[in-house]
Amino acid sequence: MIRVAFSLARREFVRFIRQPQRVIGAVAQPLLFWLFLGAGLGGSFRPPGMEGVTYLEYFYPGVMVMMMLFASIFSSITIIEDRDAGFLQGVLVAPVSRMAIVLGKVTGGVAIAMVQVVLFTAAAPFLGLSLSLGSLLMLLVGFVLTGMGFAALGFMLAWPMKSTSGFHAIMMVFLMPLWLLSGALFPVTGVPGWLYAVMMANPVHHALNVIRAPFYGPPAEMFASGQYLASLAVTVAWAVACLVVSMARVGRREKGAAVAAA
Amino acid sequence: MIKIDTLTHVYPGSRKLGPRTAIDSLSLHVRDGEFVILSGPNGSGKSTLFRILCGLALPSAGRVAVAGYDLFAQPAKVRQVVGVVFQSPAVDKHLTVGENLRIHADLYGIRDFAARRDEALGWTDLGGRIDHKVDTLSGGLARQVELAKVLMTHPRVLLLDEPTTGLDPASRRMFLAALGRLQKDRGMTVLMTSHVFAEAEEADRVAIMRDGKLLAYDTPAALRELIGTEMVVIQPTDANGLAERLRAEMGLAVRVHGDEIRLEETENGDGLPLLERILQRYRPEILSISIKQPGLEDVFVHVTGKAVPEHAHPVRDLQRTGTL
Ligand SMILES: Nc1ncnc2c1ncn2[C@@H]1O[C@H](COP(=O)(O)OP(=O)(O)O)[C@@H](O)[C@H]1O
Ligand SMILES: [Mg+2]
Repeated sequence: MIRVAFSLARREFVRFIRQPQRVIGAVAQPLLFWLFLGAGLGGSFRPPGMEGVTYLEYFYPGVMVMMMLFASIFSSITIIEDRDAGFLQGVLVAPVSRMAIVLGKVTGGVAIAMVQVVLFTAAAPFLGLSLSLGSLLMLLVGFVLTGMGFAALGFMLAWPMKSTSGFHAIMMVFLMPLWLLSGALFPVTGVPGWLYAVMMANPVHHALNVIRAPFYGPPAEMFASGQYLASLAVTVAWAVACLVVSMARVGRREKGAAVAAA
Repeated sequence: MIKIDTLTHVYPGSRKLGPRTAIDSLSLHVRDGEFVILSGPNGSGKSTLFRILCGLALPSAGRVAVAGYDLFAQPAKVRQVVGVVFQSPAVDKHLTVGENLRIHADLYGIRDFAARRDEALGWTDLGGRIDHKVDTLSGGLARQVELAKVLMTHPRVLLLDEPTTGLDPASRRMFLAALGRLQKDRGMTVLMTSHVFAEAEEADRVAIMRDGKLLAYDTPAALRELIGTEMVVIQPTDANGLAERLRAEMGLAVRVHGDEIRLEETENGDGLPLLERILQRYRPEILSISIKQPGLEDVFVHVTGKAVPEHAHPVRDLQRTGTL
C-alpha cells in the first residue's frame, strides 16, 4: 500500500514541478498577500495583550495556514481532472487498496504544499522569530496534519464532481470564510460571543493554533497547554474523518437501479 | 473463465430521463484461453457490460464470475488477474511512456520492473520512445502504451473496450495483430468489444448484442452460415414498395435495411440469374444492383436488423475508423 501511495504521490509532485508557473504562483501569491495586508493593516493592529507583536508577525502563521489550505486542496481536486483524462479509471481497476488511492493523492498534495510553506518559513528570522529544532519539528508536524486534513477534504468534495467549476464555487462560499474566521486575520480575543463560538467550531482555527504555537514556546511548553492539546486533537480528528469519508467514497461503486424480480 | 449469468443493468435515470435498461438478462460464457469479440451497434450496452466486468459498476441483477472468483463478492481477487484497456486513454499524458509504465508496475506490485517493461515494449513499436511524453505520441502509439501497460502485468484475462477506436487502418491492423499473437503466445483469455465488425474475423467466437440482449454467439464461420454464401443487394428508388412486390410477385425472401433491399439466403451461383430476373422486371425502379460475398459485417446487419450507414463503401478498412 505504501509503495502504491508513494508512486501516486510522486506523480503529483512530478507534474507540479514540471509546471514552473504553478510553482511560482503558489509561492508568490500568499507572499504578496502577506506583505500588502501586513503593511496596510499594521498601523491599526492593537489587540489587547499583544503589544510587542507587529501585524506582519501576527499574520505570518495565518498565511502559512492559507498556503497549506489552498495548496493541498487545489492539488487534491486534480482528481476531477484525473477522472476526466481517464487516468483514474486505470487506477481504480488495479489491485490496490482504496486507501492507497486516497493517500497517494493526499500525500502528493501535502508534499506540494510543504515545498511552498517551508520556503516561506525561511522568512521567520526576518520577523525576529526563532525556532528551536524541537519547535521546527512540531511546526512541520503541524503542516503535515493540516495539509492531510484539507487535502482529504478537497478529495472528498471533489470526488463526485464532474468539473472543477463547481469546486471553485465551494471554494469561495465555504473555504474562504473558514480561513477568514480562523483567527488568521484577527485574534479570537475581543470578538462578539457568537463569532467566538463559530471560530472555535472551525477546524481551520485549530490548525492555526497548531501552526502558531511552535513560534512562541518550546515543545515542552506546548504540550503543557490545554489549548494546544485540544487544537492538536481536533486537527488530527479532522484529518482522520476526512480520510475515512474519502476512502468510503472511493470504495463505493456506481450501482444499477433495482429491477422487479422476474 | 468469464461467466456472465442473467446480468441486467438499469441506469437509474434522472428527473428528465427515465431509467434506461442497458443490459437485459444477458448470459455469456468465455472459455479459458478464448478470444471473444463482443460486437454490436453503438448504444447496445457494450461499455456498460465492460464497466461491470472490470468492477467499476455494480449491476442491477445477475452474477459474474471471473477466473473462478465472484466479481461482486471478491473484486480485489478479480483485479489481480485481469488487465484492462479502456475505450478512452488511461494514461497520464503529461508523463513519459516510462513514467506511466512505472506507475502501472507499482500499482500491480511488479518487482522486476525493467525486465517486464522491456518485454512489454517488445510487443509494441514504442522502442526508443520511453522518455517521450505521451502527449507527443501519435494516436496509434499512444494506444500502444495502453497495451504495453497491461501486458507488463501478465494478466490471465484481458478486457478491452473498443481499443482500436480512433486508429487509422494501418495502426489498427498492427494493434490487432500484436494482440492476436500475444493471446496465442500467453494463452490469455481475451474479451474485446468492438463496433468495427471487420475486426471480429480475428476472434475465436463472436458475440453480437443489441439493446442489451445477446443475439448471437458463435465462431465467425458458423455466423457466416447464418446467411447464404452469396447475396444480392438492390438499391431501389422506393425500398419498401419494391420489397413488397418482390415478395408478392416473385416469392422472394427479402429484407429491407435502410434504403436497400437484401436477398441474403442465396446459394453460390444463384446470384447472377436472380439478379438478371429482377433487373428484367423492375429495371426502372432500380438505381443499382450487385452480388456480394457476405462478410461478418453482413451477418451483423442480418442479426441486428440495423443497417450501418456506410455499409456499401467499397474499401472495408476505411469504413469505420471513426466512432459512428
Ligand atoms: N451513465 C449513463 N447514464 C444513463 N444511461 C447511460 C449511461 N451510460 C450509458 N447509458 C445508456 O446505456 C445504453 C448502453 O450504452 P453503452 O454501454 O455505452 O453502449 P455501447 O458501448 O455499446 O455503445 C445506451 O442506451 C446509453 O444511452
Ligand atoms: Mg462503448
